[in-house]
Amino acid sequence: MNLKKIDCLDVAKHVCGDLDEHIDSPECRAIKKHLESCPNCTAYLDSLKKTVLIYQHIPNPRFPKRSRKTLFAKLKLRT
Amino acid sequence: MHSSRSDGRPELALIRKAQAGDDRAFARLVKDYESIVYSFAYKVCRDREKAEEAWQDTFVNVFRKLKQFDGKSKFTTWLYSIVVNNCLMKHRHTKLEKAVVRIDAPEGFHEDPVVDAEGHVIQTIASWKDTPIDTLMNKELRSLLDGAIKKLPVDYRVVFVLRDVEGQSAEEVSRMLKLSIPAVKSRLRRARVFLREQLNDYMTT
Repeated sequence: MNLKKIDCLDVAKHVCGDLDEHIDSPECRAIKKHLESCPNCTAYLDSLKKTVLIYQHIPNPRFPKRSRKTLFAKLKLRT
Repeated sequence: MHSSRSDGRPELALIRKAQAGDDRAFARLVKDYESIVYSFAYKVCRDREKAEEAWQDTFVNVFRKLKQFDGKSKFTTWLYSIVVNNCLMKHRHTKLEKAVVRIDAPEGFHEDPVVDAEGHVIQTIASWKDTPIDTLMNKELRSLLDGAIKKLPVDYRVVFVLRDVEGQSAEEVSRMLKLSIPAVKSRLRRARVFLREQLNDYMTT
C-alpha cells in the first residue's frame, strides 16, 4: 500500500482484512489518520465489525444427545 | 473451541488411554468435545441434519485415526481439521453454491470521495444501526443471516467461522486447512465483505 496516496479503497482492503489488528503498524497509523477525517471509511469499518459481532451472537441449537448413543452403538463401544 | 482444556496435559493422558483402546476414555473424549464439534458443524452447515451427519462422521474418523494424533499439535487443531473436512464433504456432495465475492471495490466506495465546499468528505456510505445485538436478533434477521452465510461459498464460510466466530488464529486455520496465511486472510476478507453487503440493506433501513 502506498502510504503517501492512501485512499478509501486502500482503507477498505486493509480494514477488511485486519479490522483492529496490528494497529501500530505504519499502514494502520496511516489508516487511522485517514479514518479520522473520512466518515465513509468509519461507517464501513463499523459495519464490518458489526457483521462479525452479529455472527458471533447467533444462537445455535443444542447438541442432540441421541447422536452420542447412535455413535457409541455404531462403534460398539463398551462403556 | 474456546476451551481451557484444549492444551491440558490431563487431556493428553485421556487421549493416550483412548489410543490404547480404552473405550471409556474414548467415550469421555466424545463427551468433552461433542458440543463444540456440533456447534461448529452447525455454524458452517446451517442445517441440523447436515450438522449431525458431520458430527457422526467426525467422531467415527477420530475413533479410526486417533492413533495418528501425536500430541505435537493441539488436540483441538487436529479435531477441527477433521470436522472442517466433513463439513466441506457435506457441501461437495450437493451442488456448490455460487456467489460473486467482490472485494476490490465494495459498494459505495469511490477513489475520489464527494466533498463539500470546505473540502470535508460527505458521507455516502450509510451508517449501520446502533441497536444492541440481542434486540436485533429477531426471526427476520436470523433468517437473513442464515441465507447470507449459505450463499457464501463453503471454502470461505469455513474460514470465516474458524477465524471470526470461533476465534482461531490465522496460523491455526492455515494449519487446519493446509492453506497459506495470505490465502486464509484473503478468504476471510472476502467473506467479511460479502456478508456485510448481504446485511447492509437490513442494517441501514
